[in-house]
Amino acid sequence: MKRHPSTLIIDVLLWIFALLYLYPLLLVVINSFKTFSEITTNVVALPKSLLMDNFRNAFRLMEYPRLFLNTLIATAIGVVGVIAVSALAGYKLSRTKTKYSWVLFIILIAPMMIPFHSFMIALVKVAKGMGLTRTPMGLGVLYWGLGAPLALFMYHGFVKSIPMELDDCALIDGASPFRAFAQVIFPLLQPVTVSVIVLNAMWMWNDFLLPLLILSGSKKAYTLQLAAYNFFGQYKIEWNYAMAGVLLTLMPAVVFYLALQQYIIKGMVSGAVKS
Amino acid sequence: MKKKTSRFLVFAAFTVPAFAAILVSVEVPFLMSVLYSFTKWNGLDRVPLFIGMANYTEIFLDDPDMMRALSFTFQQTFFRVILTNAIALLLAVLLDGEIRGKNALRAIFYIPNIISLIVIGYIWRFIFSKGFDSFYEMTKAPIFMLSWLGDGDMAFGSVLLVSVWQSIGFYLVIYIAGLQIVPRDVIEASMIDGAGPHSRFYKITLPLIMPSVTVAVFHSLSNSLKSFDVIFSLTNGGPGIATTTIALDIYKTAFVVSRFGYGTAKSVLLFLLILAFTFFQVKMFKSREIEA
Repeated sequence: MKRHPSTLIIDVLLWIFALLYLYPLLLVVINSFKTFSEITTNVVALPKSLLMDNFRNAFRLMEYPRLFLNTLIATAIGVVGVIAVSALAGYKLSRTKTKYSWVLFIILIAPMMIPFHSFMIALVKVAKGMGLTRTPMGLGVLYWGLGAPLALFMYHGFVKSIPMELDDCALIDGASPFRAFAQVIFPLLQPVTVSVIVLNAMWMWNDFLLPLLILSGSKKAYTLQLAAYNFFGQYKIEWNYAMAGVLLTLMPAVVFYLALQQYIIKGMVSGAVKS
Repeated sequence: MKKKTSRFLVFAAFTVPAFAAILVSVEVPFLMSVLYSFTKWNGLDRVPLFIGMANYTEIFLDDPDMMRALSFTFQQTFFRVILTNAIALLLAVLLDGEIRGKNALRAIFYIPNIISLIVIGYIWRFIFSKGFDSFYEMTKAPIFMLSWLGDGDMAFGSVLLVSVWQSIGFYLVIYIAGLQIVPRDVIEASMIDGAGPHSRFYKITLPLIMPSVTVAVFHSLSNSLKSFDVIFSLTNGGPGIATTTIALDIYKTAFVVSRFGYGTAKSVLLFLLILAFTFFQVKMFKSREIEA
């Protein structure tokens, strides 16, 4: 197809718009390298030198390694648990074609329609009663039930496309139902599993409200987002530390995104469309 | 008989873990919230006091702050749904054409969506205060001297700007996925029939991507109605309570002033609102979808 001359103008306008769009983030990067007095004089100017002090200080003051580890623990436990419970149930409910199985399926996916904010107050009470507060492990466990309905729904739909004969073959060969699932079926669910990992990892890693409710008061258990919020509150005036803190906080997710961009966009779309 | 029992046990072993997890994290707390919404409960009392509908009547008759939060949330939602979807759809249509570096552009617009909302709010707090000071120094444009977060009406716009900026990438991706399914031959046939770009968009492309519109509007509607994080770090509901959303008001009612029973009543109301809004939206939009 021949290019219309007006497309060049659209190209240029779109790119200008895109750069403006990212400008706030660029300002964060620029200012995280500046000294305090450089920020106060001019935010827009480039830093005089690539000063690493802000990062060093923010890293130390935030106690970054522990935050990273806490967030990683909560996210890993959350993601693995969501996959385990929803792949098992999604598969079985999809294969069992009885009325009861259908009713249970509806009960398990109905929570997709319940916004988190409408039950968070009682959730804190339940979590306290079960001893799931104040630890990243407990936080991870609480994510299971929050992430399972959508994941279960996605697995349930996908299993339909896998022929029943595969289950039968494995069972005739003498495999237990669990082994048949784990070794024959689960590997075939990989496209859904990738989407579930992406959707849940991004959400849990960036989540703020549940950690705020569950971990408040026990600093040792703070996740990255929760600690970042407190850090910003503490260093209100020292924008140079805060900007380095911002960058340290958003870096893991951005690296994850850049590395797995294709999967992330596909996963997000499939999650959005399915719900 | 034995076979039936063992089949049931296998079924239970596969489904009980998910059922238990969902009960603990969502369904039990939700049912408790509904029950607590009829009680007076400060979080410490062992037994909450049953007070019937008193919490609900208080919301509507005796809580101007909550009314303010409702009205702020509805207004934000109205503008957010229209702006995000209009801009995302326009960008998607442009990026679906022959644009240089369209993958890079798509990636750029998606970046704000992978940053946590709490950090987004904070970044913009920096831009609105320090950034705008410097912009004013350089340009002397009075727009940068306005109190973007300190004045109630301005803060409405600031919150809107940040929310739209943050979420466009997500909706853009939904619309691009929708546009890719539009069959090329239908487009080409319309070009042969002499349809211009405008009528082609309104008469052919838009009807064909209605399923994507339904999905995108659904998500923007429900996300706007329950927005919390960005506001928590950008304005914390201020100045005063000018930018307090329903979700933030629920949080403060329960965890700042310790009125847990009253907070649950508000949260049940939020559930009903989102359910009603999204139900009617999906019903209305579904009726306009057509088969390609």
